[in-house]
Parts: sequence; C-alpha cells; structure tokens
Amino acid sequence: MTAKNDFYEVQPKDAPPEMEEIRNLLANNDLRLDAQIQVFVVCRRNGRLVACAGLDHQTIKCVAVAQQLRGESLSLTLGTEVVKLAARRGQFHLFLYSAPHNLPFFRGWGFYPLVEVPQLVVLMENSPIAMEEYCEQLREQRRPGRTIGGIVLNANPFTLGHRYLVEKAARACDWLHVFVVKEDASLFSYEDRFALVAAGVQHIDNLTLHPGSDYIISRATFPGYFLKDTAIIDHSWAAIDLLLFREYIAPALGITHRYVGTEPFDPVTSSYNADMKRWLQQAPSSSAIVTVVEVPRLSVGGAAISASAVRALLALGDFEALKPLVPPPTLRLLQAKFADRKHNLIGARTA
Amino acid sequence: MKVIKEAISGTLESSDLLVKVAPSEKGAIEIVIKSKVIKQFGKQIRRVVTQTIEQLSVTAGSVVIEDKGALDCVIRARVQTAILRGCGSEELEWEKLS
Repeated sequence: MTAKNDFYEVQPKDAPPEMEEIRNLLANNDLRLDAQIQVFVVCRRNGRLVACAGLDHQTIKCVAVAQQLRGESLSLTLGTEVVKLAARRGQFHLFLYSAPHNLPFFRGWGFYPLVEVPQLVVLMENSPIAMEEYCEQLREQRRPGRTIGGIVLNANPFTLGHRYLVEKAARACDWLHVFVVKEDASLFSYEDRFALVAAGVQHIDNLTLHPGSDYIISRATFPGYFLKDTAIIDHSWAAIDLLLFREYIAPALGITHRYVGTEPFDPVTSSYNADMKRWLQQAPSSSAIVTVVEVPRLSVGGAAISASAVRALLALGDFEALKPLVPPPTLRLLQAKFADRKHNLIGARTA
Repeated sequence: MKVIKEAISGTLESSDLLVKVAPSEKGAIEIVIKSKVIKQFGKQIRRVVTQTIEQLSVTAGSVVIEDKGALDCVIRARVQTAILRGCGSEELEWEKLS
C-alpha cells in the first residue's frame, strides 16, 4: 500500500504549529531555519511532517526530506510543488542554495549550478540559459581598452561621494561600467536611484550605466545586504555575489578592476570590501583576477560622505546640512519628497 | 499568437516533463530541451515540440523543457498547456490541439 502524501503551504509569519516540526526536520538534516522564508511547502504522511522546502521571494532554501523516505521520488513531487507555488506567487526565475554534495539532487529539479563556494554552498538557478543570455547582452556592451573598470552602486541616494568615486575610477580606466542595484529594498526606489545616478554621471564620456539584475547584489545573490539594518543576518553569502561578478559579469564585459569606496561606518559594507579582495583577487578560480581598488571616501568638513549619513540628516529634516553632501538633482528629489513631510525615517529600510 | 507572459506546466516526476514558457526578447521561437534521454530521443522530442508549437500558430516565445522521459502524447499536452497559459488564451481552438 502506498501512503498518501499531503502537500500544503505554511506561512511562518502565522506561527503555525508546523514550525516546530519544520525546525526539527531541518535540524535532522544539518540545516537551520532561515528567518527570511516567506512560505514553506510541506509534505505530511501518516500524520508526520516528512519534507519541506522554503521560498524567500525568488530563492528556494531550507529543503529537507526525512531520511527514511529518500529514494521514493518524494523529492521530485516536493520540487514540483515548490516550483508551482513560486509560479502562483509570480516568480518564474528561481534561485536555490544547496550544499555542494546535493547538487545532483537539485539537477533533478531542473536547477543548474552558477557558482560554488567550495565545501560550503552552491547557487543554482532554474534555467540552463538565463545566465548565458544575460552575459550575451553584456558582451554587446564591451568596450576596447586595457583597463576596464566596474562599480556597483546602490546609491541610496546618490551623493557627491558616489560622484567622486565614479569620476576617479573613470579617470583611471579606459572605460567604466557602472551598475545600479536593482532590488527595491531600499529607502529610495530603484527608479529614483537610477535616475539620480544617470543625472550624476552624464558628464563622464567613457562610461556605460547598466541597469541592475538578479545577478548583482540582489536578494537572491546577496540576501545579507538588504538585512544589514535589522541585524538578523542568517547568511550574507557575499562570496556568492562576488564569484558571480568574477566568473560571469567581469569576463563578459572585460572588466579588469572593481572600484569601491572605503567603508568607515557600515559593518556589512566594510566586510563586503574585505570579501571583495578575497573572492575577486585571492581565491582560486577558473576566471581571471579582478583587481579591487579601494578609493578613500570624499570628506566634507572632516567627515566622510556616505549615503547613510545623508539618510540620517534627512530623518532629522536638516536640509541645510545635506546641501554640501549631494549633487543638485539629488537635493531636488530629497526636497520634493521629504521637505513637506514630518517624516520619521528612523527605522525605515536604509539599505 | 505570441507568448506574452511566463507560465509553466507539468511536473518534474519520472515519465513527465516541466515546460516553462516566457516572452521572447528576440521576438522569435526559441526552444531549449534538457532531457534525461536526450541522446536516445532528443531529435524526436524536438520534432514533437516544434510541431505542437507550429500547430498552435505561435510566432514568438521562449520554451524551456525539463524532460524526464515523457511519451510524445504527454510532451504535446504539456507544451500545449504551457503555451496556452503563456499566451493568455481564453478561447480554445480545439482542432489545433488534436
């Protein structure tokens, strides 16, 4: 007789009774419950919770199948259920984190490996062609030169510090590629951030401004980046994000140098800069080294300019103090959006 | 008819297939087939997929298939379902589905 498998959804925010069972199942598989998971698919058989898979936006995490039930193709049903759940939530391009030794298992789910941190974790996506198509688009934007720079900005919002970094990099390079983080998890929308960067770099001739993508500091490739204010970081996985840059994006555009501002304030960004040197320059990889150049931050009146300082002044409504820190288009946007509001921004997402 | 939105059909289980369709950026038909039995039946699978798409008069769309050894009739049914979902078709032309 075959036992009946009952698949259903569980939302951690409702604190359902299943959470304890999920936690136990994960613990039995050396996994920890990830606090970012929005919804789980679970499988119950004869009253027991025997399998689960979690979904955080477009990323699948915390997948476990009870030991005794392996080899029954239960996992393929689980995979189908989670892919369908994602589709119902409007997510078709999916990522998945797995221990490297489980990679063959997730190949059966239609996921393909992108990058691996040896012995630790591998990032997979559910398409055999998406990354290649993305790189193909990037290759069309290649520019000739010996020194090709790359900068990734969140620019939340764009400051004179960002402009200084971009100008400095552009002078040192034959061509500079600038990416704006696409994830809408910051105080300022992607649209606003992108427009302010575009306005702030238009005077530079040897520069291409690129839209962000799922592959550059996104919730999928670098979840920790968007959690830095909540201080609940399960995994920052900066290595994953940096390896994607080194193994796909940099080769597609011929990027030889990655520019970044020094980070005196924010611990997540500061450790990101250290990780950058490790994963772009030192770690063994089949791809060429990308040299990391840290540019000391521009200071005004003895204090380094940072977007977080700008947001802090904005929270106080101190527009006079903001003026020397941001270019005119940013100041106009800040005034338009915030001047007439007694807006308490403390506690707002400030990634 | 063109694929205008992302859609899926099928499952990952043995003897079935998962079909994903999406709008094509190049405005053409793009087919990618991954199969456990690509060496034995790759050509035949591609023939069935191409025929099914042509019969539905689809002119643009990306079709990615994860096949687990499905029979031709299953492949046809799953591809039809994914395409019709992705094209947002309300009315079915049954003669094109035979």
